[in-house]
Amino acid sequence: MSVINSIFSSIWNFIKRISKNKAGFVGFIGLIIYFIVTFIMPSFVDFDDEPKLDEITGPIGSRIVLAVHVDDVDTYKTMEDLEGKTVGVVSQTGGPIFIEPYEDTVNVETFRWNSRRDGPGIQAGLIALANREIDAMLIFSKSVTEYIDNQEDPELRQLFEDNIAISNPTLGPPHLLGTDTQGRDIATHIVHGGRLLILTAVLGGVISTMIALVFGSLSALFGGVLDNVLTALTNLILAIPRFPLLVVLAGLISFDNTLFLGVLIGLLGWPALMRAIRAQVLSLRERDFVEAAQSLGLSTTHIMLREILPNMISFVAINLIFSITFAMYEQIGLVVLGLAPISDYTWGVMLYFGRTRGTLFNADGASMALAPVLAIALFQVCLVLFARALEEVFDPRLRSAV
Amino acid sequence: MVSQTPDVVAATGQANMLDRLYDSVLNIYRNHTFRVIIQAIITVWAVVTFTFFLVRLMPGNPIDVLIEQILVQEGISYQEAYDRVAASFDFDPDATALDQYFDWFGDVLRLDLGTSITSPGTRVVDEIARYLPWTLFAVGSGLLISFVLGIVLGMTMAYYRNSPLDHILSLFASFMTGVPNYIWGLLIIIILGIQLNWFNVGALRGTYDVNTTPGFNLPFIVSVLEHALLPIITYVVSTLGGWMLNMKSSTMSVLNDDYVNVAEARGLKDSRIITAYVGRNASLPLFTQLTISIGFVLGSGVVIEEIFVYWGLGHYLFASITTRDYTSMQGVFVILVITVVFANLIADLTYGFLDPRVRVSGQK
Repeated sequence: MSVINSIFSSIWNFIKRISKNKAGFVGFIGLIIYFIVTFIMPSFVDFDDEPKLDEITGPIGSRIVLAVHVDDVDTYKTMEDLEGKTVGVVSQTGGPIFIEPYEDTVNVETFRWNSRRDGPGIQAGLIALANREIDAMLIFSKSVTEYIDNQEDPELRQLFEDNIAISNPTLGPPHLLGTDTQGRDIATHIVHGGRLLILTAVLGGVISTMIALVFGSLSALFGGVLDNVLTALTNLILAIPRFPLLVVLAGLISFDNTLFLGVLIGLLGWPALMRAIRAQVLSLRERDFVEAAQSLGLSTTHIMLREILPNMISFVAINLIFSITFAMYEQIGLVVLGLAPISDYTWGVMLYFGRTRGTLFNADGASMALAPVLAIALFQVCLVLFARALEEVFDPRLRSAV
Repeated sequence: MVSQTPDVVAATGQANMLDRLYDSVLNIYRNHTFRVIIQAIITVWAVVTFTFFLVRLMPGNPIDVLIEQILVQEGISYQEAYDRVAASFDFDPDATALDQYFDWFGDVLRLDLGTSITSPGTRVVDEIARYLPWTLFAVGSGLLISFVLGIVLGMTMAYYRNSPLDHILSLFASFMTGVPNYIWGLLIIIILGIQLNWFNVGALRGTYDVNTTPGFNLPFIVSVLEHALLPIITYVVSTLGGWMLNMKSSTMSVLNDDYVNVAEARGLKDSRIITAYVGRNASLPLFTQLTISIGFVLGSGVVIEEIFVYWGLGHYLFASITTRDYTSMQGVFVILVITVVFANLIADLTYGFLDPRVRVSGQK
């Protein structure tokens, strides 16, 4: 019990300390929200993988509507009102999925999306509705208005305008972030697209931090030839622009595994941090308590693990966060260029498709690219704000040591 | 004093001479300029060697892949296919790997980087010469603007620390550094380009309007600036925050230094203290970061140029990777690294010039 208590009290203390720094607190809360959304919510929200032709690039908040004949606007408002009536849906759209639970109570008339004889499914359905052959129709809001507005045949246009009205514009669940180029709900993609991306970034960040920690402390503690060799290696790798190197490697080895990419990014990402850690260990080594430990004849391993490491653990933690942001930067950069695996649907892949399918340039579909852009941007900002706050919260002695 | 035997005298004399020689060698090495140049040369050598191994000797390397490809497509003998690939990569197919390595090294020194695989007859170095200036122009002006702006804003933040202005600028700076630069690029396209319609992003492909004639005339210069504007804004926005925050903390530490107090006590004008005393000293640490930043920004140009369809070296690198044009890829990578190393060299030398302490002690 006391262990649990002490853990809770230390967490509480940490929250109290970080809440004094406003920006840091915002970052901290943001990271918790990100954790909930990307790691817990996927268990409750299904990944929308159903292409829907009438919802292609739907704007934010768009949903399915109930289209009825003008005379029935006040009669049919909900699915319950339609009990025993005939409801038209167009295949390969959101309609059939929405109507599934009601199949026992209403008669469903399905129009084929691309039926040659009747013309496009929407047209066939709307004509049937205008002639009162069916009682209502489930259509995606944008499609029906767009279809009527863009109707070139004046007769048909007149028919639709005179006879068709939308009785309930809020029937289906809203697409909080709109739909992508295949009519799939973007919000569910955002929920599902973060986990692998964040895990890969953390993997990369942890690997580079570990390498930096080992090389940096070895270099500082043993000095001499080892120090010279490691420092030279560090300077060398630091001088090579990392991103083009990754791009070239991606051109030679095709990355087909996202986690492998994370490992590779981690293996290349340590030099800058190694320098900083080396400087840290060098300065800590001169402290009295380390000298005392040395005069007691304690082993180098003991001094490193028991005396030096605990004193720079916060420094390492902060830099781990920055390493994670860099790993994420590189990973997403490669994905945006299409050089990393795009089989796992992550925020980066959403960006890639948003760019290659041109939704960037489509005002309606902007959220396909904008949603992952903001998800990534805010996550990175939260990490940076949190790391900056940690710098202030943690032992101030460390800052003077830097 | 005990007299020494001639032997001992000779020995100590020799040791002294050796010591002095060692010291003078060490002094040369400690010389900032010399060390920086040596490091640059070693880096270039290592990268050129690394590229050689990557392209020739790694399992599944491009040369094997290409030979395989030609064999499958054209059904000619292995030797013919090998010779053809060797001609593209400009190496002697009969030489040993070591000779090929020295050959390759000499080629790089003479800037002879072979011919393109996808468009035979095009020399890679000519293509690079066509694309590189645009990258240097965009990245260079972006970094310059953000560096100068960052120094000014950072000093402002330090002088007005803990004021609302400082808090707002700090928040902005955190945002600017936190968000990756290609995300800034995409945001600029989506918001400024599409939603607000300030720029016709679709029309701003390439580096200048093809209807203008390159040269020193107004329409050409305007179109060049127009095409480079969005990439430059992206470089500025994504790097500015870092300069601001660094300059702020650097200025704050300088403000407490004795020489600033003395300068104030001497009754010097504020403007002179700010520029010559505080500004010059506070901006020094930023120059070391400039060297890291140059490589980073040039490297990230691959994505930025691709997003804005700005035809610089990054765009060329990406194009050569997607078309599997390995000779171009190899050439661009080597030139890109050399450019970064060279830019770092200039920044390092400038740093030594600005901070005499570095030149004298050889240590930061």
